[in-house]
This record gives sequence, structure tokens and C-alpha cells, in this order.
Amino acid sequence: MPKGTHKVKEKTKQKASVYITGESPMVEEYAGMCREKGYEVFTHLVSGPGGRLTRPTKKSPSIPRGIHLALELTNADIESKKNNIRRLDEALPPTCAILSSSVTVSASEQAAWIKGKHRLVGFAAMPSFSRQPLAEVAPTMHSPIETIEVIRKFFGSLGKECEYVQDRVGMVLPRILCQIINEACFALQDEVASPEDVDTAMKLGVNYPQGPVEWADKIGFQQVYAMLTAMQNDLQEDRYRVAPLLKQMALTGEWWKHGSSPGEGQP
Amino acid sequence: MKNVLHNLKDGEHLALSPFNAIYGYQDIMIKHLGIVGAGTMGGGIAYAAAKARIEVALYDINDTILRQALERIKADLRHGVTRGKVTNEEMTAVMTRIHPKTDLSNLHPCEFVIEAAIEDLRIKKDLFKHLETHTKPSAIIVTNTSSLSVTAIASALRKPERAAGMHFFNPAHIMKLVEVVRGRNTSDETLTTVCNLAGQLGKTPVVVKDTPGFIVNRVARPFYGEALRLLGEHAATHEQIDRIVKSNGGFAMGPFELMDLIGLDINFSVTQSMYDQFFGEPRYRPHPIQKQMVDSGTLGRKTGKGFYSYDDQKK
Repeated sequence: MPKGTHKVKEKTKQKASVYITGESPMVEEYAGMCREKGYEVFTHLVSGPGGRLTRPTKKSPSIPRGIHLALELTNADIESKKNNIRRLDEALPPTCAILSSSVTVSASEQAAWIKGKHRLVGFAAMPSFSRQPLAEVAPTMHSPIETIEVIRKFFGSLGKECEYVQDRVGMVLPRILCQIINEACFALQDEVASPEDVDTAMKLGVNYPQGPVEWADKIGFQQVYAMLTAMQNDLQEDRYRVAPLLKQMALTGEWWKHGSSPGEGQP
Repeated sequence: MKNVLHNLKDGEHLALSPFNAIYGYQDIMIKHLGIVGAGTMGGGIAYAAAKARIEVALYDINDTILRQALERIKADLRHGVTRGKVTNEEMTAVMTRIHPKTDLSNLHPCEFVIEAAIEDLRIKKDLFKHLETHTKPSAIIVTNTSSLSVTAIASALRKPERAAGMHFFNPAHIMKLVEVVRGRNTSDETLTTVCNLAGQLGKTPVVVKDTPGFIVNRVARPFYGEALRLLGEHAATHEQIDRIVKSNGGFAMGPFELMDLIGLDINFSVTQSMYDQFFGEPRYRPHPIQKQMVDSGTLGRKTGKGFYSYDDQKK
């Protein structure tokens, strides 16, 4: 920290502070983006590299004073998410909004965990989503216009426009994308084609910007699995049954049928 | 290497195929291709083949449909000439390579026949049976089906090992993908020849097992299905879903725009067919919104109204 007072005076505006907690790599993605836009950023990770679940061994560090906005970016470990949201609600002044990923738990359900229900707004956060031009935002029945306005300004400062959707588990893009990935995994499990060919087919046949397998690698199988499991629990429909191959990839990081190359042979 | 490939004319890049080292250039080239059915797909495939310097026998039972197919190809070539992309000589050369036929027995010189008739199992099986009698025993016979079982169609042949699926995408003279479908009895040799022809046509073959929807139609189902569910649950409007999918997902078109383009009826029947073929698997269940729109004749662009209105021009 510079000691000279003249240096402090140069800063005409105080930097806004953002506290970002949750799973890797979403925390890092948002932290990087907020720093680029001039925010003072504090982070706290609840998961290790690659999104593998590791409960924090130490007691969570205290939340610094003067935070203007908090982001909670946990999708897979709901217990951690609940702890994080409660910790934020207790530590932050009531004027500080909490923007929380509501891909696997609805924002309304999250608001029910805390006293300051007015301050929590949901949005679609998944790894690799942070640079997208639209923010899929889900206000809850408790969100006053003031909270929504804060969120709109925050996303605006990151260059994003808000698209307000209903507060539903899975939201819009995560639900569509993860079901495409799930279907691709069912097809791989049935050995319809090789993973590379599935990606090639979707890119050349229907002009997908990325193949489903590439997408799953980018988002992370654990995240896709967490999202689909949440969809299945929410809607209680077989439609969201997770492909065993996808589950296996999420839990072990290995192809289910080790040593065999999908797409070869007949039943 | 890339530059070399770009400078080659359609079809010439086959000379660079690694298969040449094994089989030799001449053996592997298909010189006479038969196409059965001169509809949108058959015509498009004929066009792609003629551009790749293959002699095409284009068969249709209906002389009018044949002439219309030739007209479409000629119109596209003329358009290319006016834009300076095609020379007059090339246009003539492509057109003279396509030989319209109204008699199946005229396909006998073909080493390879692509069936692109309507999606009806009985008609396709019947055609396969006739093709087997009218072609050399060494000829490969493939079907361009998108929704029927290749294995079931091939069962009409005494030698089903020489049959496979070759699923082109519309417009067939432009889209690069071909799903090469290995039926239950398709031989490895047949599969190799089919992949080679795809290469000769300048396409990228992807080998898939004969299962409902193959890869593309199957993996694309949730793109429409989940979007319809979201709409049905009033989670977002169709405009919002399209915006999010395009802006954030990077897709060229949103699911509702695409359903309007494909036609609600076509999209619904593909979904229904997958649902039936997988014996009621809930992932493929069609949505009542689709059914109601089809029932009301709201079929998308072709009727001027789908999820969007197309009264004036586009949306």
C-alpha cells in the first residue's frame, strides 16, 4: 500500500469491492473479470482444481468489511452453498446484495435459507459461461426493484445485459446444454459412434459451435452431473435420468469402458 | 498441405487419400453412381456427385420430378455463373454428367447406388429388392434414410452385407457431413467403400451404428425438446430462449427459429418417430405444444406463421 497521501488523493473514486465464493473455476473466472473492470476482489474457494469436491479443512476465513456485492458460485456441493449463503447473510450489511448461482437450487429456495431474503438474486453460472454477453438472471418473489437494479448495474459494468427469466432449477442454457451432453453420453454408452465423431457430426451436421463432448470437458462433467441430478430431483421425471457414463465420468474422471474405443463392434 | 487441398477442384483431393497407397487410385474411384429418387435430397446428392466428376444416373419414377430436379441444379449453376463462381464450361460439364432415367434397369452399370426415395419402409425395401436384381453383385447399395432402420431396409437384399446407410444433410451439395450407417449385417468392405465415396464427394464421413436417429438427429433432440419444455413451463418466452441460446450458447439459430425453418410438422414427426423407435423413452417424448401447432396448421416459415410471424418478409 502506498503511504503518501497524495497517492490516495489521486483516486477520485473508491473501488467497489466484490466478494466471490464458490467452486473452481467459476470463482477464478469471475474474479478475473471483476478485476479487469476495476473491482477490488476477495475470493474464497470451496472446491479444489477441476471442481473436485474438497470440503474446506480450515474454518472459512472471515469476510472483510466494506463489501459492496457478494457472488456465490457453488453448483455441486449444496451443503457448502448453504453454509456460504448463511455466512454471507450474517456478515454482510443488509444493503449488500448476494448474487448466487441458481442452476442447481432455485434462488427462492436459497432465499429461504437466510434472514435477508430481499438481497438474494439467482443467475446462471457454470464454468466457461462467465464471458457470455447475456446474464440469465432469476429474481425471486422477495427481490425488490432496488436489488434487481444493483444486479443490473453490476452486470452492466461487466458488459453484460440482463435477461430476466423465471426462477427455475436448470434455468435456460444450462438445462438445454446439459441435456444435449446427457444425450451424447447415452449415445456414447450405446457405442453409436466415437466421442470425436459425435463432436464432428454435431458441428458439421447442424452447425453446433462446439461438440457436446468438448462442451462437457469445458464445463466439467461434475458440474453437468450436478445440474442434471438437480433437474431430476426437481421435476422427478425420467427424462432427466443421468447417463451412467456421464455419472462415471463425473465421479471418477474415467471413461466407463476402459480400453475399449466407442463406436467399434456390434452387440 | 492445407493450401494444396484448397487449390484442388472438387473430387481431386481424393488423389491424396491414404487409401490410394493401399488400393490404388483407379480401384477406389466410383465412376458411375446411381441415385434413386430425384426429390430434394436425391437431386442434391446428384449435384454433389456431378460436381465431383462422377457420372450420375438419376432415377425417378416420375418424369416431371426428374426434370424439376435438373432445373433446380441448372438454376443453381447459373446463379454461380452470374456470380463468377462457375464457368459456362463447368456448368455444361456438370449438367452432362447427370443422366435422367425412368427405368431402374438402366442403373446396371453403376458400382454404387444411393436410394433417396420417400421415408417409407415398404417402398424402400421394395426398391432395394429391385436394385439387387438390376445391379452387379459387387455393387454397393445404400439408403439415405434419416429415420428408418438401415438394417430393416437391407434385409430386403439376399446379400445385406453390401448395404449400408448414407445419411446426407440438406442441402446435400453444400453440407459437409455424411453419417455412414453400419447396419447389423454391413461388411467392413462395404463400409470402407461408402466412406471413400463420401470422401470423393468432398464430404466428411462419420461412422455410426444403426440406431434410431443415428447421431445428429438423436443428440439434437434436447435442443428442441428442452426449449419446448421451458416454454411450456413458462420459464421464459420463446424470444428469450432463442436470444439466450444464440448469444450465450453461440448457436447460429435459436430452437424456435430453427423449428420454424425446418417446419413444425417435420420436427414433430422426427421426434415422434424417435420416441416410438425407443419404445416410449421419456427423453424423446414430443411436447403438446408441437402437436397443437401442427394440428392448427401453424407449421413455421412455409405457412407464414410458426413461433414467429413471417407475414412481411422474415421475422
